[in-house]
Amino acid sequence: MENRTIEQVVRRARIRHFTKKLLLSLLIYGIAIFYFFPILYMFLSGFKTEQQAVLPKIFFTPTLETFKKVLSDPTMYQYLRNSLFQVIIGTTVSLVLGVPASFVLVFGTLKKPESNNKYFLWFITTILLPPVAVLIPLFTWYQKFNLINTPYGLLMAYVGFHTPIVVWMVHSFFSDLPAEIFDAAEIDGCTRLQQLTRIALPIVRTGIISAALLVAVFIWNEFFLGFNLTGNPTATLPVYMSRFREQQGMFVAQLSASSTIAVLPAIVLGWMTQKALVKGLTLGAVKG
Amino acid sequence: MSGASRLRTLHWSRSPQCMHLVKSMNKRKTDYKFLLPAVFVVAIMTQVPFLLTIIFSTLRWNLSRPDLARQFNGLQNYLYFLKIEDWRHLPEFYGILWQTVFITGSTLLLCSALGFALALLLDNDVIGINIARTLMLGPFFVMSTASGVIWKTTIFNTTFGWYGVLSKLFGFQPVDLVSYHPLGVIIVLFVWQWMPFFILVLLAGLQGIPQDLIDSMQIDGVNWIQGVVRIKLPLIMNHMRIAIMLGLVFLIKEFGLILVTTAGGPGTRSYTLPYAVYMQVFSANNVGRAGALAVITVALTLLLVNLLYRSIVKRSEMYS
Repeated sequence: MENRTIEQVVRRARIRHFTKKLLLSLLIYGIAIFYFFPILYMFLSGFKTEQQAVLPKIFFTPTLETFKKVLSDPTMYQYLRNSLFQVIIGTTVSLVLGVPASFVLVFGTLKKPESNNKYFLWFITTILLPPVAVLIPLFTWYQKFNLINTPYGLLMAYVGFHTPIVVWMVHSFFSDLPAEIFDAAEIDGCTRLQQLTRIALPIVRTGIISAALLVAVFIWNEFFLGFNLTGNPTATLPVYMSRFREQQGMFVAQLSASSTIAVLPAIVLGWMTQKALVKGLTLGAVKG
Repeated sequence: MSGASRLRTLHWSRSPQCMHLVKSMNKRKTDYKFLLPAVFVVAIMTQVPFLLTIIFSTLRWNLSRPDLARQFNGLQNYLYFLKIEDWRHLPEFYGILWQTVFITGSTLLLCSALGFALALLLDNDVIGINIARTLMLGPFFVMSTASGVIWKTTIFNTTFGWYGVLSKLFGFQPVDLVSYHPLGVIIVLFVWQWMPFFILVLLAGLQGIPQDLIDSMQIDGVNWIQGVVRIKLPLIMNHMRIAIMLGLVFLIKEFGLILVTTAGGPGTRSYTLPYAVYMQVFSANNVGRAGALAVITVALTLLLVNLLYRSIVKRSEMYS
């Protein structure tokens, strides 16, 4: 003990600290990669040929054959186009309806002061409503008016179900703004619409963008309504993916390439929303 | 406007007289034109169909029997599912109800326990921690039908999947998990998809714990387990409850994953309430009974959410 210098003690402590950190990092990376593995393996298998994909292997010579084959299939294009239509138009309309409503629920005047809260709670309860509760009447209407074979039927359902989510998420971002700026703007002769477009929107821009991206992900991934309220010409990508359910272990490469196309946009958009996700989804009860 | 007059205006705008003026001005002008379009669309697409579903649930209406007139039959559709004639042989409905509660409950339990452990792990400050966090978040954004078919073919398949190949490598006989343990498979996939959300919310909670509290914890010589169980866990309990409530709302209506993995089978062993509604409409063609089941699903969701919400409100009041 006596012949140990201070430097040696410090160095030892440093080494111990360093190895502890290293082991911890390895554990964290290990778990993260293991958790992400099914997605990773799916990405990889998309670059295999069917023969290569039969047995699970991580190392192989990649090829673009399968992707070319999947993308040259006209039905795949149709599903992709339908999905993009629903996502772009559905998200836009939900925002156009939801953002002003949410703004008015935070800062606007309704008949009674407590009305704001009541309408907000009403929007929340519609989020709780499972889609099965509306399936039967919508299905019978759509059959009667032949909306099954046009994309607008599903679009209306998506707007109805995602506007409350926009109201809900954007509400917590608007609530952070001080009411005084809008009072001041009103005295300066700013109409409600100008208050929203000139003052509120620029400030909460990032919050609204992440709400939009998240709603886009929800619509892109939505299956129940897309499956039951569409016909062959209007079905979306999740419906296309569900058709692989009967092909037990066949066409693994093709399945992987198609699901990569179906999954990758949502993951990328989702990662972009990461920061605002917690706050937006938990009603601002949790700060992200 | 000059700087001074702007200041005066701002000052005046906060005075009580001005507030009074603004309020009396607002009384004449309300903002319903911003709100009503959204309310209208949402009501037409969600509330009206739900009210119709409630009406349908009291009708005798079978799509495959157009010869029978649609007629009011009271609570017959509900009794068809709920009525217990012999206590030793409960009707199928109770099995489905139990499976729904079991799948949702176990998923939420596993998500909270494992999610908390992983959130603690990801709360460490190592190089590249953001990459690890981002990777763990990935499965949350994967569409359920894709994750279902991917897991089924590349992992659970007994011949070609990782599970089959690895268990043969270690000398086990792989079994067809999807048929033998349908509920287990569904729960594993749900947990895989929803745990990232729990980790995200709980991690936000852990990072919100003030640093001086952590420092004083270390000075007082609190050991790791005590620190986690007695201090960190109670502090993020509300985050946990909110994650559980949201998870519940989304899990209870999940349908696609069950359709692509087990298709409710074997028999009705992995039916959940939404799946049973779907089968009543499109397989049994019985609109009345499907309506009754849909109403029961909504009632169950509202009941469970309400119970959880009350516990959250009660706890928040306790802390504040």
